[in-house]
Amino acid sequence: MRTDPSDTGGLFITRRPGTRPTKYRTLPRTAGETRRRADGLFAAFLLFLMVLVNLCFWGPLPLLCLFVGGRLQHLTDSVGVGLIASFGTLIGGLLLGLMALKRLDLLWILVRRASGVDQRQGVIGRIFMICCAIGAPIFFVWLLGFSGAQLSGAGNMGF
Amino acid sequence: MGLRGYYKQFAGMTDEEITEELKERSAEARRQALAKVEAVDLSQTTWHELPHPDVVAAVTFAARGTLNLAPDPTAEEVRRALGRRNGIEPARIAVGNGAAQLLSAATRALVKPGEELLIPWPSYGLYPLMAQRAGAQAVPVPGGHDPERLLAAITPRTRAIALCNPNDPTGEYLPPARLRELLDALPEHVSLLLDEALVEFVADERAPAASLALLDDHPRLLVFRTFSKVYGLGGLRCGYVLGGPGSESLVAQLAPELGVGVPVQAGVLEAIRVCDPQLAQRRAAVLTERARMEEALHELPLDAPPTEANFFWLRAPGLSDQELAARLRRGGAIVMPGSGVGDEEHVRATIQSSAHLDRLVQAARTAF
Repeated sequence: MRTDPSDTGGLFITRRPGTRPTKYRTLPRTAGETRRRADGLFAAFLLFLMVLVNLCFWGPLPLLCLFVGGRLQHLTDSVGVGLIASFGTLIGGLLLGLMALKRLDLLWILVRRASGVDQRQGVIGRIFMICCAIGAPIFFVWLLGFSGAQLSGAGNMGF
Repeated sequence: MGLRGYYKQFAGMTDEEITEELKERSAEARRQALAKVEAVDLSQTTWHELPHPDVVAAVTFAARGTLNLAPDPTAEEVRRALGRRNGIEPARIAVGNGAAQLLSAATRALVKPGEELLIPWPSYGLYPLMAQRAGAQAVPVPGGHDPERLLAAITPRTRAIALCNPNDPTGEYLPPARLRELLDALPEHVSLLLDEALVEFVADERAPAASLALLDDHPRLLVFRTFSKVYGLGGLRCGYVLGGPGSESLVAQLAPELGVGVPVQAGVLEAIRVCDPQLAQRRAAVLTERARMEEALHELPLDAPPTEANFFWLRAPGLSDQELAARLRRGGAIVMPGSGVGDEEHVRATIQSSAHLDRLVQAARTAF
């Protein structure tokens, strides 16, 4: 990219944000072609793992929350305890999941670079958004249509 | 390298790390720049400071205004100013492109091919060259400015003696009284080309006038002076020659056919008009630093003959000129090795400012 004013008609053009080349402490010593291919596969596997963890937020985690909340409500005969347990499980699960995702994302970047790709940014944001777009509607359809749960006052509103 | 280490090497530096590294690099470059001291160049005899600003302004004015016009080929105005200054008729003065050009022209005019030009040696490196260009033979006379040796070296083919006074590079000076003895003893067929490019640095302030006084009685004497040294106008290339009564036609034929340039004439005129206080200041500075250097020489393993110029002809017993120059260069002072003028024991070190002299002394101390 030409950034010198003499090449750009007098304009001083700087690099777009986030496009700075990766600066290494020391130049990495890459392995052979086989190793690079293996790293490519490894990176794909890590991506798959990240998708799985993300999808967990819209299926297994809510189920776990409902299960824990329901069990505690049954044991204590208190709706409040059940609600608090459910939300606690949800928040804790989300935090743990995001921490795991962050680590996986960092590892994915390194493995992608090892596979020969000039990977500069992670993919966590995009995966989260895509999984939200897929998982959230499915979850709500299941919750409202198939789980047997009823919205409070739904009968009065014509449901 | 383990698996973890293999992947870790692909981790890029963070912005903070990069900023920190850039800061360190910049600080290191600054440290190095501050620590680096350029060697001081004491190998030239030209003045180390810029010329008087009025002279620069006059040269600029002439260059901007009248560069399309041919200069006055006789430099009449400059010759009149020089005449008033030196008490000589302008007709006995010629202005040329430096004293060297006039010396060369005088050699061609006076020494015919096959004839001899005597040169007390070592001396200014141009003299043998100008003899060669005239087709004449340069005869070096070892032993410095000794009139007896010079007179003994004269042959029937000798036509001129080129005498640099004070001598470059030794700094030796032949006082006017001894000069008169030499002139009186010279045969009729021998002229004396007296190069006084450095005469302003002689301790006796009457020296410049004293040598000109010899002109009246010695028609075969030509005195050459320059604006390149104490005036600090080496880049202008301007000098002048003064002759005795009856030398008008010879002097006129030494000048360049079409004269010197318009900016040169303008600059020199202004220099004659405004530079006297500056000249006195520079002369005093050289005399002071010369005395300091003479004192310093007592403590240094160097010796030098007495000098009346703005340099010292230094020698370190047991060392060649190249070795001495190299040692001083390592200490941060650049000097001129004498082998260029055939002396493999001495180096020429110019006296400039007080700070430069300190550097030279320091270099000499660290060299041994």
